This record gives sequence, structure tokens and C-alpha cells, in this order.
Amino acid sequence: MQNTLRDAALVEVRSRVLEACLMQSQLPSGMPLDVLINDTLHHERKRLETDRKSPTRAEDFAYWDGIKHRLGRSSPDEVRDILQTVIGRFTEEIRGNFNPFLYGVATKVMPKALPVLLNAMSPKRLFSRGIPDISETIRIQGDVDALKKANERGTVILTPTHCSNLDSPVIGWAIYAMGLPAFTYGAGLNLFSNPVMSLFMRNLGAYRVDRGKTAPLYKDVLKEYATVSLELGQPNLFFPAGTRMRSGQVEQRLKLGLMSSGLRAYINNLQKKKQNPNIYIVPCTLNYHLVLEAESLIEDHLQREGKSKYILLEDEGSRPRKILNFVQNLINLEARITVQIGDVIDPFGNRVDTDSGVSLDRHGRTIDIKKYVTDRAGDPVHLPQRDRVYTQEAGESVAREFLRHNVVVTTQLVAFTLWETLKHRNRGLDTYRLLRAGDEGAGISVGALVERILRVWEALRKREQRGELHLEQGVVQSGDAAAILQQALRHFGTYHAHPVMVRRGDRVFCEDMKLLLFYSNRLRGYGLEKELEPTLKEVT
Amino acid sequence: MSGSSEKKTAAVLGGGSWGTALAHLMAVSGADVRLWMRNDERVQEINEHHANSRYLKGKPLHENVKATTDLREAASFAEVIIVAIPSSNFRAVAYELGEVVSGDQILISATKGFEAEHLTRMSQILREETCCRKVGAISGPNLADEVMDNHPTATVIASPMDEVIEKASNLLAGPTLRVYGNHDLVGVEVMGALKNIIAIAAGVCVGMDYGQNSLAMLLTRGLAELSRFGEALGADRMTALGLAGLGDLIATCASPLSRNNTLGRKLATGMTLAEAQADSIKVAEGVNTTYAAIKHASRLGVDMPITRAVHALLFEGYKPSDVLARLMSRANRYEHSEVPIDAPRLVEGSVMDTALSVAARNRGW
Repeated sequence: MQNTLRDAALVEVRSRVLEACLMQSQLPSGMPLDVLINDTLHHERKRLETDRKSPTRAEDFAYWDGIKHRLGRSSPDEVRDILQTVIGRFTEEIRGNFNPFLYGVATKVMPKALPVLLNAMSPKRLFSRGIPDISETIRIQGDVDALKKANERGTVILTPTHCSNLDSPVIGWAIYAMGLPAFTYGAGLNLFSNPVMSLFMRNLGAYRVDRGKTAPLYKDVLKEYATVSLELGQPNLFFPAGTRMRSGQVEQRLKLGLMSSGLRAYINNLQKKKQNPNIYIVPCTLNYHLVLEAESLIEDHLQREGKSKYILLEDEGSRPRKILNFVQNLINLEARITVQIGDVIDPFGNRVDTDSGVSLDRHGRTIDIKKYVTDRAGDPVHLPQRDRVYTQEAGESVAREFLRHNVVVTTQLVAFTLWETLKHRNRGLDTYRLLRAGDEGAGISVGALVERILRVWEALRKREQRGELHLEQGVVQSGDAAAILQQALRHFGTYHAHPVMVRRGDRVFCEDMKLLLFYSNRLRGYGLEKELEPTLKEVT
Repeated sequence: MSGSSEKKTAAVLGGGSWGTALAHLMAVSGADVRLWMRNDERVQEINEHHANSRYLKGKPLHENVKATTDLREAASFAEVIIVAIPSSNFRAVAYELGEVVSGDQILISATKGFEAEHLTRMSQILREETCCRKVGAISGPNLADEVMDNHPTATVIASPMDEVIEKASNLLAGPTLRVYGNHDLVGVEVMGALKNIIAIAAGVCVGMDYGQNSLAMLLTRGLAELSRFGEALGADRMTALGLAGLGDLIATCASPLSRNNTLGRKLATGMTLAEAQADSIKVAEGVNTTYAAIKHASRLGVDMPITRAVHALLFEGYKPSDVLARLMSRANRYEHSEVPIDAPRLVEGSVMDTALSVAARNRGW
């Protein structure tokens, strides 16, 4: 967001939130201002007690101690002032910074820097051919035109899937490459802790989101900031999963807090009789052959899900330093990242016609979406309970789009085939026991695996033809099962600390069941397991 | 929408007994009501004589109920539209409705049933076929004839949206009808539909001259089935114990007025399904629902012995006595966990305990 716009947004957010605080404090059941401040204080102190790594810990402690001190002996007017400074502090903290000069530099440097970071470049190739163009690394597909048109006709919220810390720079670059203006987005604090990343983040229009802060007042400020920026016509980027998907699955349960600001902005736009009041949500998927943090993500997922069932035996300290390892293992890999742009939907989850920007029902009849939010007299009104239901339904649409626009790559296809095969071989074992049992050192013959990959591929192909998912361009599209296996083995062998699977002679062995589960999970939610059960069950 | 802010407006689609009764109820509580149906003669009868003699014989209707065959007129007239069309025809009417409604209107399903193919609920059909999002369902112990006779009762209006519940309850609540709200739309619709299966079984039970013990067993175990099935579909367990679950179940199973109950009693005399349905003008939704529930029960992993029995009776040519014998000879079970009482159970976490308890059982302890 341009700095002038940003400052206007901050002022607006402050006054809206303060006004709301005052208004609710007048209600018989409302929260008096001093209680509200105390509540915020309590949440913040609790956070600081557990979060020992926060760089601003001492300063924050001092600040909240000061507030507590002042609050004790304040008149109602002073309490109001204190509240104002608290809100002011939160808004300052999340403020983004848009530096047009740096944005220019960043977008010029990124095409060169990203491939080096992400691409499958051997040092030899690097020297012989020079640094490749970014278009070799990131493939953007889907209805880009529809996205651009939506951006002209209204304000866009781009909602990508989220599985890696690389998602932010990747989608940031994709936005630039598509010729769209810089998007405003809320990036987690951890992305700001790395000084280089931080510079890029801030200057690409990112604002800071501290997920550790649980105070309801903070969340209100955050949400209102997104709302105001949308009203100012600033396109936004939300990761609706809220956090990286630990399990490797396509996210289906979304956090709707930020997404609801789309509907709120739309209603505000209607009330202000804006010329282009429409807000468009554009889901998109980011598809990697390999995920940078796969090991720690699945580990985290299993610990959360399994709780007592799963006891870690591996030595945590032996885990390689992520980034270093990442760069090393990237060498020789020819991975591409596919950014698949999904279809445009409205804040209620309806499909939007690309050409006219009008919402359509399932039979293609046009919908006057204003009427969803108007009262008896025909005036647009906010009704939070109603709007939560709308947002939830929009979230369901986004989740459906995620599945529909998921791009299947070789690693996922092969991992899914092998996992399901092992599951049937060890029938009766639950996921956690299966993780331990693995392939029992027996592996599977290449011939049998290729045959099974073909069966899974056929099932996927059927779904692709029905428009339920995409197959990656190239080897997955071709349906050459042997080539699919070969590519997957290459990826799996060169990237992670332990190869996910390796080929020895004419057998393939799984070396890391957790990662196998992680990559196979991307193909869940399509009912493949049941359909393929008879095929994969056969004894090898 | 043409309704002014003071005057309440509503429309009901479907001139059967429940649709007509709902229209009458809303008119009594002060609304202008349009009642849509396809039959010209009945429209004329309602508009001229304020009566629907085919479905509600001898029950005079409030004069603010105006019948029409014009769907657009009925729909565009009202803020709240209640759809009371048999489930077999529901989607077709909903599609037509989709042509004439807008997103500010509230649609409420009064039909208790499923679409068998995907176990689609009626409110889902309203969502799929129209642009409306403010949808809900009405259900409860509401036998149309008793409602028309002003017997006090209560009903549940279910919707995820408070606005829907509030507006619909404003239209319906009156001196003889209390309204309860519920956010568990899935539960309310599932209970309303499934209870018809148990009602058929109850009819059979009564028809075979069994007493209150038998009926009570049927109702209670039937409720357990309803509750399990509902939970598998995402319903709240408590809804089964509410008006739309237990309440409706009691009313339907106890009343000779209920169509499903009547059907059951006829089956008990040895009639086939075709014979039993031949002499009734009213649709017994339980027949479709039994088919739909059995079609999906195993997929959902829900055991439904009573429903299976009704299915055998309706579609597989079994006699009531055979079906009953089969039900009664099922393994005895623990009431809540459904685990058979006399089957050896694996003891979790100890192969020794398992082996010892199986050995003891084998010795015939």
C-alpha cells in the first residue's frame, strides 16, 4: 500500500476501533473501558511470560507494566486516553511500509535471486548457462485474465494455499509477473525476523501479524486494518489456512477471521455508495514437488494429532540446519513451482462471471448480491451473525476451489501410491503403527509400483476430465508411469536429509514413512482411497 | 419485494395439509399470506370458501390466506417463503422458485425427507436451486389437523442464521404455537425425516395389537438410531432429544392421524406397500426416507436395525412377523456402546487380559 494511503488507513482503523470500544461500553452488558484494557493487558502478559524469544519482550513488559500503573489511578477521561494509546500501539506494530523504490529493486532482483534459491541448478549449469529466468522456475497457470479483470472491476482478495515459508516470496513474485499491483498482506512475525526477508516483506506491502497475540482487541485491529485497506481499493493477500498446513493436505478447514473483512468491506463500500463496491475472492494453489520444511511440518502434525499415541524417538538435535541443507539439496533438482489461479468468487461464495463481474447461481442465473445484505428498506446493513454464516459459506467455496485447482505432481502421486499400498499390506495397523512398521525392509518391485502408479494416474485422469483437479504439465500429463516414478525418485533422493524412497536393483524402498505420509496427503479429499482399494490391495 | 415494513408477508408453496395449515397459522398471527398450488379448483375453493376440503376437511381457513397458481406472484409477494412440497417434487419446484426469488428473501423447508441419491436435505436443495442463502427448516410435533383445531403445541425453526429464525418465528408464533430456534439445521432436518421410518414401524406395532411396552421399546431404540445417523451427518446429539426429534417422534408414532403411522397399520394387516398406498391421497414420506437411509447407512457406518426391518417390510416382501422375529433375535447389547453382551472383547493394551477373559468365557463361567 502506498504510504499516504497507509497512513489514512491507520487513522481510520484507530478511530473505528476506538469508537466501537466506546459504543459497546455504553451497553448494559458491555465491557467497561478499564476492564477492556485489563483484559488486553492480561492476554499480553500471558503471552510475554511464555514467549521468551520475542526480541521486544523487555520493552513490551515495561510498556504493559506502565499501563497497569497508570490504569490504577485514572479518571474516565484518562482511561479513554490509555485505550487510545493501546490501540495506537497495535496499529503501529502491524503497519506495513511500501517503498516504491525498494519495491522496484526487489522485483528486479527477485527474478534472479529466486531461481538460485529455489531452482534445480547445479553449479555447473549455473556457470555454463548463466542465471536462468524466473519463468523457468515458477509456472503461472489458470485464468489469469479473470483475475486481472476482477482487479480492474473491484478489489481482489487473493487466497493461496499455504505449506511453506517460501509461499510469500513465490506468490509475491507471481503477482508481479502477472502485471498486478503490489498486494497488501499480513505476514507472520517470523518472516520479519530474518533481516533480508524482512526488508522484502515490508516493502512488498506486507504488514506484520503476530500470531502470538491473543488479545481480542488486537485481532479486531488487525481485521479492521484489512477491511479498511480493501475499502481503499488495495488488493489483499490472505492465507486462509492461517498457518502452514502441517499434514501436507490441501487445507479444508479455513480460518475465517480475515476473510470476513472482505464482506465487511463490501458492505461498507455499499453504504458509502462506492462506484466499484465489489470485492472478489480469488483462490489459488501453490504446488511444489518438494516442500522446504516438510520434515518439521509433518513431525509437528503427528505430535499434535497423535498426542500420547506418538512418542518421538529420533534425536531432535540431529536435525540438519534447514536452510543450509535446503540449498545443498536443491542442487540437481529441476523442480518447478506451479501457481494455479482459481476461479473468481464473491464474498458469499458464489461463482462470478469473468466478463461481466456479476455473480451467478448454480444454474448460471445472475444474482443481485446487494440483496444478501440489505434490510427491509433496501439499505445495506452489517449483521455480524448473518455475515459469519455468509463468510463460512464463502470459506467452503474457497476450500472446494483449492481441491479443484490442486495440481498433482510426480512426488505426490508416487508417495500416495506407495503409502496406500503399504497400508493395505499392513492392514489393521493404524497410521501411527504403520509409520513405525514402514515397508519392513521388503520394498516393492518396480514393476508392481509402476503398474499401481498407472492405476492411480487413471483415477486422477478421470477426475481431471471432470474438472476436479489438475495434472501437472509434462510428465504427469503424459501418463507415462515409469517416467513419473523416475522423476519422483530423483526428487525424493536429492532433497531431504533422508531420501523419502530409493531404488535398489529392481525394488523401491521407503526410507522415511513420515515424509511419505506428508507427500501422499496432498491427494486426500478426492475419495481416491476407497476407489483404489481393490486395485492396491492385491498381493504383490 | 413489495411488502411494506409494517405488514408481514409470507408465502407457502404447496397446498397439502401441512402447507395449508402453515398458511393459516401465519394469517392468524397477522400476516398476509399467499398459498401457491397447481390445482385451479382448490385455489378457487380456498379463495371463495376459505377451505381446503381435500386435505383439511371441515377446518375453516383464515381469510388472509389467498391462494394462487402463479408462482411468481406468490414468491415476489413475500419476505418469507415456506416450501411444503413432497420431497419427490421438491427440487423441480425449487428450481422454478429460483427463477423468481432474490437474495433478501427467506426460504424455509417444511418438508421432512431426503433426496435418496446423495441424501440431500431439503434446505440443501433450496440452496442449490436458488440464489437464496437465508434458508432454514421448520419441524416438530405438528400434526396439521391438530394445529387447525388450535391444540397448543410447539415447533422448531432451524437455521444457521439468527435472522431467519427471528423473522420466521415472528410470522408463526401465536397463542397456540410456541416457537423454538435451533442452529442445528442438519439435526432438525435429519430427525424430521428419519422419524417417519420409526412411525411406520410404530404403525405396524399398533396394527399387530402390541401394547405400550412394545411401542416404548420401538420409540426409544428408534431414537437411538436417529441420533446415531444424525451424528454421522454432523448433527448435534441434543437435537434428537428436542422437539424435532423426540417430540415429533412421539406425536407421529402415537397419532392415528399420521400418514406414516397409518401406512404401518395397513402393512400390519398383511397389505403390500402398493396396496397400502393405493387408498391414500397423502404422501407417506417415510417410504422414500427408508429407502434413502438404508442406501447410505453402511457408507456412514451407522447400524440401523429398525430401519432395515422397515426396509425389508416395504421393499423386500417380508411379513411383519418375520421382521419382528429377526429384530428380537438380535444379539443383546450394551445400551449405549452397542457392543454385544456375550461376545468376548479385546482388552486394550494387554494381550494377557484378553487371553484370560476369552479362556474364562470358553470355560462357560
